[in-house]
Amino acid sequence: MPNKVLTVIKREYMTRIKSKMFLFSLFLMPLLMCGMVFISAFLTTMQSKTKEMRKLVVIDETGEIFAPMQVAISDHRTFQHKGELVYQLQEEAATTEEDIIALRKRVNKKDLYAYIVIPKGVFENGEVKLYARTTTNFEVQSAFRSVISKIVRDKRFAESGYNQSEVSRLMRSIRFNAFAIKSSKGKSGGTEVENPFETGARIGLGYILVIVLYMFVLIYASSIMRSVLEEKTTRIVEVIVSSIKPHQLLLGKLLGVCSVCITMFAIWVLCGVLLVMNINPLLGIFGIDALPTQLVEAIESLKESSFGVLTYFFIYFIIGFFMYSTIFAVVGAICNSEEEAQQTMGPLTLLIIVPFILMFQLFRIPDSTLSVLLSHIPFFSPILMFMRINVLMPPFWEIALNILLMCATVLLVTFFSGKIYRVGILMYGKRPTLRELWQWSRY
Amino acid sequence: MKLIQLENVRKQFGNFTAVDDISFSIEKGCIYGLLGPNGAGKTTTLRMIMDIIAPDSGKITFSKNRQIKNFLDSIGYLPEERGLYRKMKVRDVVLFIAELKGMRKHEAMTEIEKWLVQMQLNEWGNKRVDQLSKGMAQKIQFITTVLHKPELIILDEPFSGLDPINMSLLKDLMLELRDNGATIIFSTHVMEQVEKLCDNICLINKGSILLEGELRTIKQSFGKSSVEIEYKGSLDPIRNSPSIQDCNDFGQYAEVKLKTPEDYRPFLRELVEKKVDVTRFELMEPTLHDIFVRSVEAHKGTVQDAE
Repeated sequence: MPNKVLTVIKREYMTRIKSKMFLFSLFLMPLLMCGMVFISAFLTTMQSKTKEMRKLVVIDETGEIFAPMQVAISDHRTFQHKGELVYQLQEEAATTEEDIIALRKRVNKKDLYAYIVIPKGVFENGEVKLYARTTTNFEVQSAFRSVISKIVRDKRFAESGYNQSEVSRLMRSIRFNAFAIKSSKGKSGGTEVENPFETGARIGLGYILVIVLYMFVLIYASSIMRSVLEEKTTRIVEVIVSSIKPHQLLLGKLLGVCSVCITMFAIWVLCGVLLVMNINPLLGIFGIDALPTQLVEAIESLKESSFGVLTYFFIYFIIGFFMYSTIFAVVGAICNSEEEAQQTMGPLTLLIIVPFILMFQLFRIPDSTLSVLLSHIPFFSPILMFMRINVLMPPFWEIALNILLMCATVLLVTFFSGKIYRVGILMYGKRPTLRELWQWSRY
Repeated sequence: MKLIQLENVRKQFGNFTAVDDISFSIEKGCIYGLLGPNGAGKTTTLRMIMDIIAPDSGKITFSKNRQIKNFLDSIGYLPEERGLYRKMKVRDVVLFIAELKGMRKHEAMTEIEKWLVQMQLNEWGNKRVDQLSKGMAQKIQFITTVLHKPELIILDEPFSGLDPINMSLLKDLMLELRDNGATIIFSTHVMEQVEKLCDNICLINKGSILLEGELRTIKQSFGKSSVEIEYKGSLDPIRNSPSIQDCNDFGQYAEVKLKTPEDYRPFLRELVEKKVDVTRFELMEPTLHDIFVRSVEAHKGTVQDAE
């Protein structure tokens, strides 16, 4: 009998491995990941940059700020494109309501990028106001803020009789950096300090792995759903279950698809290891002789820590995969068409999407009660607990408890799913209600 | 020798009784017709034979006292609405099903080639299923049903959607397989096919058996209550005869259904008395269709009486 489960595994595995989709993801996913990093980095620098000349009107009620402002912006990088100043300031007086309305109209017609109102009381605590069509241009805002702040501050100092250059020297910011202490079996009494590059590399890897986990579970769980649905709508499932038991078919499918994912990860990990091992000759090709020592240390520590991280990744991926895939397989089994399945799937995908969205906030407070509690909800664990492991390693008992909880959930889910699946694949017509599903699970 | 025996098999889904106390047996090497209107319980019965679902009570036994799990690989099943994995190549699909039925790979491969040639599909073996025409796909699915040389072949509405050429091809194949010793269960609601192919039938309705046995015996037991007549002139004089239940008049030829088989004597007398110019008068065996309709309707009556 297990022989036949193997036949199912083989079919699921081979059809997917041979598909274009597999090759596509194999090469494209890493590219996409790198691409995303570059594009987001590129976009942050680009977001407020402009090639076009931007005209601004300044209503300077003090009459003292406009002139130094015009000088200051020509030195500020935010206001330049390839070394050329692309912001043009113009002083205007707006005394009446009509003047303001006229300015607003010009902004709306894109004649003006924005207008800035500097009140008389700016030296005390008056508020400088910028009016534009959008206020998401944070970089431009903060550039103006720092330019005007500096002018105001300088004026205050000058009025109090301080020397200009002395003030700049005294006002210089300090240098500041954060270091993570990790517990280890090292010499320094069980504590070791990571340099920021190491922390960045470790968390960066964790981040990428969480995204990979999320995408793979979502992609391959819905792939299983579609495959169950195909078998049901083509009625081939009836032929199959006349040879093997439905739960064996389901098991074969899950194992087959899981093997596909593991194959892909294995290839990536192998490539990654080869890349890191040969990093120096590779850099040589690009004419880089040596990396900064901090970066070298980061790569070294990544080599050490990545084994642990990858182990946790596999554990959480496999448990998560079985947890979500069995549910999605059931969706395929109880529906009769692709559209119906998509509808039913909608609310269930929230089980994966919600923790993924929460992750972006919770990773800043990894040991808060909220994070801890949420990460122990079995359906959220694959993403949230794995995130916690990457950011700030929880105590071992928590991980052990969490894995136990998830395994129990998987068993429970498979138990009910298996029963519903068994009935569902042979039932056509109306999609069952929750009450009917409960009845099915007890046939 | 009996291949399968069902004894007092029952299956209930919630409050709905799909199969109610069914008993019948199937002889080895025959074509057995499982008939009934839609929703009569045919598919449920077939699924219970294949152990896809378990009966609530009753017993299904196989020849030589084999357990169902040892018999499953000897069953070939063609479900009612058909399909195959659309994205797979023809050979791979057939091989997959064959392996599920416990065939070894090389053995399956030789059989596949043989069948593809016989069905004139050998050029299509490496094409994907979704590139095949509907007829071709149906032939491929028939191959998957019989490739592993099953002892029992279960065909659920095998003729639906087939063109006349493929229909007669399938009919010939069914007879050939039977002659080679296979037993075929043929489930359908199209009576003409059953009449031509089946040795034994079981007619079920609403989960219970209405008729079961050898087709010839069943027909005889129903008596000859149909008459075919050829005539000249008009049938009007006898139109309101008390013996006639129904008359299908074609102008010079008519099929007359009598109220009881005994009514043919008074009816013939009436024709002569009313001076209808009859050139041919023949008593016909009831068609299975008639038997089917009459049984189902009679059954409906008893159900209503009971209520």
